[in-house]
Amino acid sequence: MKKFITILFVCIGLATYGQTTINPDTVCANATGEQYFVTNTPTSTYNWTVTGGGGTLQTGQGTDLITVDWGGVSGLYLNAIGVIESNAAGCPGLPVLLDIFVLDLSSNVIGPFCPGDPSATLVGNPAGGVWAGTGVTGNNFDPATAGVGNYVLTYSMAGCNTTINVVVNNGPVTGPIQHF
Amino acid sequence: MVPPGPYQPGNVVTVNYTLGDFTGININWIHAFQINLGVGWTNLTPITTPGNPGGSTGNWVWDLQHTFTGGYNFGPGWRFNNTGNVDWGTSSSGPFIMSFQVTVGPTCTADDLSVSMEVFDDCTTGGWANGNCCVDPPFQIYNGVVLPDLINTSSIYHY
Repeated sequence: MKKFITILFVCIGLATYGQTTINPDTVCANATGEQYFVTNTPTSTYNWTVTGGGGTLQTGQGTDLITVDWGGVSGLYLNAIGVIESNAAGCPGLPVLLDIFVLDLSSNVIGPFCPGDPSATLVGNPAGGVWAGTGVTGNNFDPATAGVGNYVLTYSMAGCNTTINVVVNNGPVTGPIQHF
Repeated sequence: MVPPGPYQPGNVVTVNYTLGDFTGININWIHAFQINLGVGWTNLTPITTPGNPGGSTGNWVWDLQHTFTGGYNFGPGWRFNNTGNVDWGTSSSGPFIMSFQVTVGPTCTADDLSVSMEVFDDCTTGGWANGNCCVDPPFQIYNGVVLPDLINTSSIYHY
């Protein structure tokens, strides 16, 4: 997952060296293939460690770029990624560390609704994210605005998202009053 | 020394040394130039062999190690092979001009890079016995340590 600021830098065409990663770095729960790198010195080797957050180093040990799969337990993991560079003579440098925040989004379940039901409050956890989808205004879902149907609402934060399915059913159709 | 220090691993350095004259007591002659190197140096290679201006018959020989007849251990450096008497050196009129090359070895620490030249007379080496030997302490050419390469790792970035 790219950090927002990283995406911004890429968009404006900065080179790799222009990128930045804020510490702690945020990753989505159960993310796979996340790439981490340092500025490469071709004659150096790099010894990486991945600890905490359910992280496992998948590829790239010894090189300047690795991929990591993360676990699903939300939380802040200090020094979760570390790297020690050794030069051509085998001399090690100082460790460089990065904290990781594993972000696991969840939300409340709402519905099913009828078209005339009042708006329902959408609650994302942790708070502070953004809801999107048909019938969504802010943190509310309005069945009347959405109309009858099945909808997928998305809660997003820091590049992570979770979805819920919402159903608005047809209301009962009452016929005209008849006189026997 | 060319180039001048300080030095890092992998640097190749040429050392030029000239001895103008050697004043030997008791008719001592120059028998050897011994190079003393700190542990940070490697790959010692001779470049220019000393001349023999006005000296005895013979030639300078490069040796990493040599044990003289009297048992004196020498090396590395140049020793004079006197073809008239192997135990003698050459008369001491200079200048004696010589050069050699050394390389800073791979290391992670500030190893000793001292370089000195020690001149032995043929009394010291055991080939001449006519009173006291000359006492000629090593001439310090360089006194320094290795400056290991700085390893400046960037921050960790996340794509």
